[in-house]
Amino acid sequence: MLRPFALYRPTTLPELAELLRKYGDEAALYAGGTELLLLMKEGLVRPGVLVDLKRVAGLGELAASEGTVSIGATVQHLMVERSVAVRAHCPLVAGVARHVANARVRAAGTVGGNLAFADPHSDLATLFLVFDARVSLWSGEGEREVPLDEFVRGPYETVRRDDEVLTAVRIRPAPGEGAGAYLKFGVYERPTLGVAVVLVLDAERRRVSEARLALGCVGPRPQRLGHLERRLRGTPVDELAAGRTDLTGSGMDVISAATDLHGSADYKLEMAQVFIRRALRVAAARATRQVIDARYPHTVVV
Amino acid sequence: MHLAHEVLIEAAPETLWRLLWDVPRMAACIPGCGEAEEVTRHQTYRARMTQKIGPISLSVPLVVEIVAAEPPGRLILSAGGRDPVVGADIAIRVTLDCAPDGAGTRLHIGAEGQVLGKLGALGHAVIQRKAEETVDEFGRRLARAARS
Amino acid sequence: MPAIPTPSLSSITLAVNGHRVALEVPTHALLLDVLRDRLDLKGAKRSCDMQVCGACTVLVEGTPVSACSYLAVEADGREVLTVEGLGTPDALHPLQQAFVDHGAVQCGFCTSGMLLSAKALLDEQPRPTEADVLHHLRGNLCRCTGYRKIVDAILACAAGSATAA
Repeated sequence: MLRPFALYRPTTLPELAELLRKYGDEAALYAGGTELLLLMKEGLVRPGVLVDLKRVAGLGELAASEGTVSIGATVQHLMVERSVAVRAHCPLVAGVARHVANARVRAAGTVGGNLAFADPHSDLATLFLVFDARVSLWSGEGEREVPLDEFVRGPYETVRRDDEVLTAVRIRPAPGEGAGAYLKFGVYERPTLGVAVVLVLDAERRRVSEARLALGCVGPRPQRLGHLERRLRGTPVDELAAGRTDLTGSGMDVISAATDLHGSADYKLEMAQVFIRRALRVAAARATRQVIDARYPHTVVV
Repeated sequence: MHLAHEVLIEAAPETLWRLLWDVPRMAACIPGCGEAEEVTRHQTYRARMTQKIGPISLSVPLVVEIVAAEPPGRLILSAGGRDPVVGADIAIRVTLDCAPDGAGTRLHIGAEGQVLGKLGALGHAVIQRKAEETVDEFGRRLARAARS
Repeated sequence: MPAIPTPSLSSITLAVNGHRVALEVPTHALLLDVLRDRLDLKGAKRSCDMQVCGACTVLVEGTPVSACSYLAVEADGREVLTVEGLGTPDALHPLQQAFVDHGAVQCGFCTSGMLLSAKALLDEQPRPTEADVLHHLRGNLCRCTGYRKIVDAILACAAGSATAA
């Protein structure tokens, strides 16, 4: 049972802004409700008003142009999985969307809702970091674009003001020839780790010219691993494909980790090393068109 | 939940102590802490702690007890209460240690306690993080209040 | 701040298992409660109440939905299919027959959710691979069968019929 609330269904952003202004703290933004309704059932949030975003014009669009893919806030994970534009420009994103939660959540849950909830375990929030994602925030006062890295401040906390709504996220696939991989390790719907990697190779396709790595579920928010990315530049790709990359001195010790129901901090840090090596192996093998057997227990390899 | 934080206050230990011992005034330096009132001077106080953790709003009526007071060095308080709306039970023990440091005071804030109930579903790391932010800001506000 | 408007009843009209149904429901009513308590359709079950187990799965416009976490008002103007609309005791749906033939039902608690999830899959992909079936059923938990016979039943149903729906 839910506690009673009033439901409004604006069809334009100005109408939405007026509702948020009018009801302030009492209003909760609602699209798929995959997190909101659960919190409401537990009594942890008790909004008197739900403002449904699903009929607001312009929030449900998916488009690609000039190397940027724009995903509207109310686009469901299922739509991302099936999108021709996403599959063409950013197949890794379509592949990861396919593995969010379960089929029912994918059909209802939205990309905007996922990012705005800022769950440290979010697959998309982790993956989008390696695609230089930027989120658009709209309010009656104007619009701003914020890098995803700055948008998510901490666990379940973003820089979105109460009068703002996340309208879209834009991602840029890495330039040049390369390959990526996303590994999710965990049991049932409790992911212990999410690792996203994109490798760009040099002209001879022998060494890494650029590496992008993001780690989710471990720290207070998904994080890019800058130290390790710099360390990997120039590494022979065959070394990565062999799966024995030495990660010492790569700044692994400065990764912040927190214990939760999905694993202790120590365990997560230990397993982060294992899965980063595995993710690099998968990406390196793809970049060099090698066929490898990458099956690990309780792990989804995208 | 376990916290330790140190802050350098530009005031002598005795000056800082006067601020700390004025419990309602000290409580006003804690972000989210309001409605502080005395029940029995230097023994029992009441206050309300209001915080937002992610999308969840918490409002806890607290009973604060002075456990030990050793002027001008040490003050120990315990605070407890329950937010019936969210179903969160809070019990914390705060130790404030003042040591002279040059012309000022080095204040060590130690806090130990637990938050039980549905809020735990968010994970204790989230609660710990919020507690750390609160204590950090408390130290900053105390420093400002002690200077004036 | 203005007073929150008193939550009121909403009139909704939906097609449940092919029958038109007009109801007044509170805005905060969940589809699962409306199906079970107002329409006496007990096939969908409340189990985890958090969209993880799949026991409450129904199809809305052919898409699987966790009825425990879906507002009834969202079904306004839409077609809802529950297990009661899949087949009858005298005329089982091919999926139901396959479940019977393969011993894919033990306690039966997960069964309605499994059947509807399977129907949604076969309507979309008439010839799924085993991997497709396993992927699609990840959100439907079974404590009895170990899943093997459920998967076999679905694959057999897909192989056995030209049109799976």
